[in-house]
Amino acid sequence: MEPVYFFLDVVLWFSIYLIVVLSLNVEYGYAGIPNFGRAMAVLIGAITVGYVMNHILMLLLGIDGEIVEASGIVKSTMNTMISHNPLLGMCILVLSLLLAAFIGAMAGILFILPSAKLKNEYLSIALLAMSEVLYQVSNYNTSIIGGYYGVSVPNVLAWIPGEWRIMYVTLLSFGTALIVYLFVDKILTSPYGRLLKAMRENEDVVRAFGKDILVLRMKTAALGSSIAALAGALYSFYSMNVIASTFFRVEWTFFPFLMVLLGGRGNNKGVALGVLFFVLTKVSLTIYKFEIRSILQLPFEATWLEYILFGMVMLMILYYKPDGLIKEKPVITPPIKQALKEKNIKETKNIGS
Amino acid sequence: MAVLEGAVVYSNLLVLLSIGLTITYITTGIPNFAQGSMAVFGSYFSLTLWRILGVHPYYSLPLSFIFGGAIGVGIYALILKPMIRKEATVVMLMIATLSIDIIFIGILGAYSETLSSITRMATTKFIFTPMDFKLLGIEAVLVISSFMIFLLLLALFLLLYRTKFGIALRASMENPTLAEIMGVNVEHTRLFSWFLSGSLAAVAGSMLPFRQEIEPLTGTIIIVSIFAASVVGGLSSIYGALAGGYIIGMSESLVTFYLSTFLGSGILVYSKVVSLIVLVIALIIAPMGIAGLSIWRNKKWSRYTSS
Repeated sequence: MEPVYFFLDVVLWFSIYLIVVLSLNVEYGYAGIPNFGRAMAVLIGAITVGYVMNHILMLLLGIDGEIVEASGIVKSTMNTMISHNPLLGMCILVLSLLLAAFIGAMAGILFILPSAKLKNEYLSIALLAMSEVLYQVSNYNTSIIGGYYGVSVPNVLAWIPGEWRIMYVTLLSFGTALIVYLFVDKILTSPYGRLLKAMRENEDVVRAFGKDILVLRMKTAALGSSIAALAGALYSFYSMNVIASTFFRVEWTFFPFLMVLLGGRGNNKGVALGVLFFVLTKVSLTIYKFEIRSILQLPFEATWLEYILFGMVMLMILYYKPDGLIKEKPVITPPIKQALKEKNIKETKNIGS
Repeated sequence: MAVLEGAVVYSNLLVLLSIGLTITYITTGIPNFAQGSMAVFGSYFSLTLWRILGVHPYYSLPLSFIFGGAIGVGIYALILKPMIRKEATVVMLMIATLSIDIIFIGILGAYSETLSSITRMATTKFIFTPMDFKLLGIEAVLVISSFMIFLLLLALFLLLYRTKFGIALRASMENPTLAEIMGVNVEHTRLFSWFLSGSLAAVAGSMLPFRQEIEPLTGTIIIVSIFAASVVGGLSSIYGALAGGYIIGMSESLVTFYLSTFLGSGILVYSKVVSLIVLVIALIIAPMGIAGLSIWRNKKWSRYTSS
């Protein structure tokens, strides 16, 4: 593989995973909600593109029939239209992302509701079960997103020649990831972010200060799920199809947890570093899959080896470095900065006198 | 009738799995997300003995019991115990069991492909149903799985209420700190619970191929039902897990079958949705499960159910 493509692959996966991992960092890293159903929000983003958007386009173009075939017709029609009118592609992309964020937020609020009465263990079980069920239903039922056949998604960059497409898709994803990063960082350094950390450490204290825990959790789940849904939608536009089996729990719940813990929970810079490490390993493993198999004389596919490897890495992190690569630091707000400065001045004065 | 038989077999196996999950939750406080894959290990263990040595799956059950127990003890002693010593939080321990699950999926996938290259037979998906026979006019798997439940309950009862170890076990389930002060080695009871959990999972897994198709990822599918059964049972008592297993197993098979008679067979893919709905309802109405309902408080035997 040429170095350029290796680089593009790394950047693309870095962008998509960064979005998912940031969303998990909001929920788990900051707010302490153990969302073992992260894959569900990503799948909801993909369903927005594969089901909702395809149905809107089918309605507009006057195509009817089964979603599996109809989406193919939608794709080819839309591709010709987009190749003459680049703006149309952008409109579809932006509209889909907004829609995915909205549906993701709604789903997040809905699925966090049981948490009103549940302890962390029970909540994580419920979230994992919900995610698993949505995965199975969309995998077996062909009328949602085509089950194992999958549905097609229009190429929103049809006006770009084929060999340049991957570069533009990567740029687009990286841009989105950057916006999400800045947005999340901004929102989490605000008082809201510190409130979330307070909730993670001690819910009773937050309640004593007059904050409603459930409302706070609903807001957080809405924020997290809408961001994760963006990643699902973006991934669908990259792969130009939606197949339910790509949204397996290992890839979209477990790996994000691995990256959050590797980088350091509750710390966006650390988490980004965790994503980079993970993606570099994963892309290298994917590229050299066949070489690994033939060198080690494996009688099985290298994907299984990847699962074993990443599982082991996770256990190592949990045991040896539960704080991650970069440990979470307290947020230095202007008043604290001021206080620290005064303290320093006093101390130097004391030493001087 | 065949539907009912299938439902009973499935419920029996679910009971074995949910009792295993509950018992480790009671002693160590960790919901084990790898319980489903532990069962699939049992399935592949029996498949290996059958394909290579020609041992019928029913005869390999005792070996499967020991094999599964070894896996359970291994998980606890090598991974979870060191983490508990370092005072890891429950969420950290749950993530650890998730990682174990991923490692197991990897091992099972790799092993199934290795096995098919050795035996030159497809083993990524398999089923034991053609090897089953009739006992007194009913399918053998129904008789044997029911017998296993009976045997298990009898053994557990004798162990818990008729031996000194059982008293120590119950004491450390109810109040580990107090039990430790009284000289009970809590570590032994934890090891025992993980042994039992693993062995029950493997035995259930060895019989599961008589009822449904097995592939390396089957564990990720059945885990929803196992958790539903255990949570409905309250995750705090063995009797609760027993009741929960039958409630979930029966509702999953019978409700979907009943719905499919007038909504068409397409509804059968939603069988896990049924157990999910029961799970969510149970969590909202009675977060501590049926064993935690206050109506049991006045009953005499409530002191045995650690509620």
